[in-house]
Amino acid sequence: MADLTLEATVNGRRVVRQAKPSQRALDFLRDDLHMTGTKEGCGAGECGTCSIFVDGVLVKSCLLPVAKIAGKKVDTIEGLATSGEMSAVQKAFHKSGASQCGYCIPGMVMAATAALRLNPDADREEIKERLGGNICRCTGYQKIFDAIEMARDFLNGKLSAAAFDELDAEDGKYIGVNVRRIDAPSKVTGALRYAGDMVLPNMLHVQVLRSPHPHARIVSIDVTDAEALPGVEGIVTAADVPGQDGFGVFVSDQPVMARDKVRYVGEPIAAVAAEDLASARRALTKIRVEYEMLPAVFDPDKAMVEGAPVVHDYAPNNLVKHIPIRKGDVEDGFAKSDIIVEQNYETQQVEHAYLETEAGLAYVDHDGVVTVHSPSQNITHHRHMLSRILNLPINKVRMIMSPVGGGFGGKEDMIYQGMLALLTMKTRRPVRLVFTREESIATTAKRHPSRTSYKMGLTRDGVILASQIRIVYDGGAYGMSTEGVIRKGAILGGGPYNIPNFQIDTYGVYTNNTPSGAFRSFGSLQSQFATESHLDICAERLGMDPFELRLKNAMRKGDQTHTKQPLNSSSMSEVLEAARTASRWESGVPNVRGATRSDLGGEGTRPSCTLAPRDVIDPAAEADLSSQRGAA
Amino acid sequence: MLSCDSYLSPGSLGDALAAVAASDGRFRFVAGATDLLPWAREGRAGDVHVPLMVDISGVPELQTIEFRKARIWIGAATPFQRFLDRPDLIRLVPGMPDCAVWFADNQIRESATIGGNIVNASPAGDGIPPLLTANASVELAALRNGVIRRRSMGLVDFIKGPGQTEAEHDEILLGVECDALEGYGGAFEKVGHRRSLVISVVCLSAMVGMDPSGCKFKDVRLAIGGVGPVARRMNAIEGRLNGRAVSADLLRDVMLSCDQFVQSRTRQEYRKLVAPGFLARGLAKAIRKAGAHPDVCGIAEEVAHG
Repeated sequence: MADLTLEATVNGRRVVRQAKPSQRALDFLRDDLHMTGTKEGCGAGECGTCSIFVDGVLVKSCLLPVAKIAGKKVDTIEGLATSGEMSAVQKAFHKSGASQCGYCIPGMVMAATAALRLNPDADREEIKERLGGNICRCTGYQKIFDAIEMARDFLNGKLSAAAFDELDAEDGKYIGVNVRRIDAPSKVTGALRYAGDMVLPNMLHVQVLRSPHPHARIVSIDVTDAEALPGVEGIVTAADVPGQDGFGVFVSDQPVMARDKVRYVGEPIAAVAAEDLASARRALTKIRVEYEMLPAVFDPDKAMVEGAPVVHDYAPNNLVKHIPIRKGDVEDGFAKSDIIVEQNYETQQVEHAYLETEAGLAYVDHDGVVTVHSPSQNITHHRHMLSRILNLPINKVRMIMSPVGGGFGGKEDMIYQGMLALLTMKTRRPVRLVFTREESIATTAKRHPSRTSYKMGLTRDGVILASQIRIVYDGGAYGMSTEGVIRKGAILGGGPYNIPNFQIDTYGVYTNNTPSGAFRSFGSLQSQFATESHLDICAERLGMDPFELRLKNAMRKGDQTHTKQPLNSSSMSEVLEAARTASRWESGVPNVRGATRSDLGGEGTRPSCTLAPRDVIDPAAEADLSSQRGAA
Repeated sequence: MLSCDSYLSPGSLGDALAAVAASDGRFRFVAGATDLLPWAREGRAGDVHVPLMVDISGVPELQTIEFRKARIWIGAATPFQRFLDRPDLIRLVPGMPDCAVWFADNQIRESATIGGNIVNASPAGDGIPPLLTANASVELAALRNGVIRRRSMGLVDFIKGPGQTEAEHDEILLGVECDALEGYGGAFEKVGHRRSLVISVVCLSAMVGMDPSGCKFKDVRLAIGGVGPVARRMNAIEGRLNGRAVSADLLRDVMLSCDQFVQSRTRQEYRKLVAPGFLARGLAKAIRKAGAHPDVCGIAEEVAHG
């Protein structure tokens, strides 16, 4: 392999290094120069966490072969805060609270800087367009755009420097107060190190062999050839688990790596630790696994039918859990109702899509403590499970939560930390695993897909007399958070409404789909979607205003929930009233006036996305491009 | 993951061709590289080892942009962003700016090249319809018996199918030559799942030259992409518009003829729904940019939005 002798200027300093011809500019910056402010989110040019300037032009470094920066001037996020002082854009991001998990932020700051350099007067629409290549999962972008407008105004002299330093006017302790984020400077400067940014001397790189089959018996796993490859330092499979193998939030049904059989496409089978990533990946191709195919089931309704393929032996009916709640007599309620409305609803599987993929770093410390750094949302629980799995006393297991580059529930399950612990124990060297974006999407837990059948009985004037709800949640191959998710679905399923006769059944079902797990709102999104859609349909049938229908049935102070929790306070009615006012809602049945509604558009609303391109620059005005460069 | 043993950045066409001639044939040409690295990932080509990479983006001929009689030469290594910031390109290739502003995102436009878009020959390649409307021809170079063989052909003949072109493995696309269409109005319509970084489900390029009255079509050129194995000119529709006065009836009439171009394997119904709207909208925008009479612009816009 002919290494390249690479000479470039990086953040103003001349750099001369030998680089591998296969490297991307991103790898060179992160691995060779240890400038980890430039992040990798997707490796495919989609997310913009890796944006850098090359000769003043913003590009995505994950798409850039390293040879392309030879002889060039490269500027990264680390180069913006010259002599320790943050740039105007960085200060504005801090002040505006534009950084949340922070993982997209270095790229966002770079793209914002580029936008204001290209057009110091860019308006919000142009800023949006110029940031089109950068994705954020946390913020909804508004605070990011606020920050860029603030930086623009400061750079144009319309805002004083003091604006960045002034304490926020709202100072107090109440929900909604603006709080200066103390972790923001580390995020806007790229200084914060996520698990995938951390390195230790003598560290090995981990890759995982995953199942290509949804349901198959593992006849044999042969790692002989893989172990013999140069650079390969250790391989672990289920056979290497010293303790009681199994993790999960409610039921410990998931082995660290597939044991005896695989239950979904992407389930880990073996993990390899090698001197470099390429060797680890090569080793995966040399592991031989013999499978015996089993019939698989992908539909939760079919999985509950007698004779369906069984995913876990302990649950012959494929049921993770069934939660029933009963109150009053629904049949009696339906009999007394003037109208009965029945409808089915479905929600789909959803990926969390945090910008930081799963990553972890593990080592055995000088006292023999197995230590795992990872962006885990549940370290104490993980520690207890790992101690049992590794058969180590709890004081010999340490979990350290690295900065979470977005979680949304997706990092609650201990899906890879066990493999790292086993590999570091086996090799006695630090090991690190960073999921690829594809791996993260294909193999980690998702939001539960659901099917709801809804039956509601109401009086002619809109009083709900009975609700009967059945929700089937597809739990996928392992239990994870399913039990909690469907319990929440049952508790909150009827919505915040007083219903005298109420019946709900939620089912969590095993299938051979990708496991479902925790995700924001934890099971209630599925039932709320059904309930609120259903109420809109009922409003139409009754010829009633949908706000009125909800207000009529809303739980109020002193009421009891379906699970007999007394409400000492309830803001439901106030929230509805506030929403009605804010939306300038035109009273009436929602489905009869169509485009003649008076509450569409107007002040405070945004036009729908028209996908119109920004005006192409007028050639005459563009005679001298360089004169337009701003000072951002 | 993409790996290679050697990455060369030759400074001349001769050096580039000599490098591949000296290889065992296992090489790839690289220009913007924006499709190359995503290609070598899980779900697509996976881990790929290419012993030799030859980066041709620095070859001077591929970087040239020059006026040639009634045509304009655009070197293959020209990044898409140049169609948005070079006044000569904006003036002479009026079909490209609207295409470029929709292309990928600001950052990828600085790397991704027009030549790369052509040789990838994606059915949804955004750069191709506007080039078809500019009657583009391509020029190729390869080393044969020790001398550089150059040949040209129409872009329409060059692209044979999805990912398939007439280029031989060791042949370099030097660039494209297009009609210089100063005074024409150009428009580009595209739909995908979001604003940026999106693969076209349907894209359409409209190029219109109006007669001096500003009321009659003089020269209409239309091309549609994303709806079949290759992007195509809509000759049958062009013929019905050329020389005719712009009228709502005429425009509504040609909108009915879009179905024939939709030959994709998937989502035919959706695409058939979108194509006529794009045709009307593309024509309306192009008519206005071509300096048509305000009444005529109004008619076309009403058809497009009404």
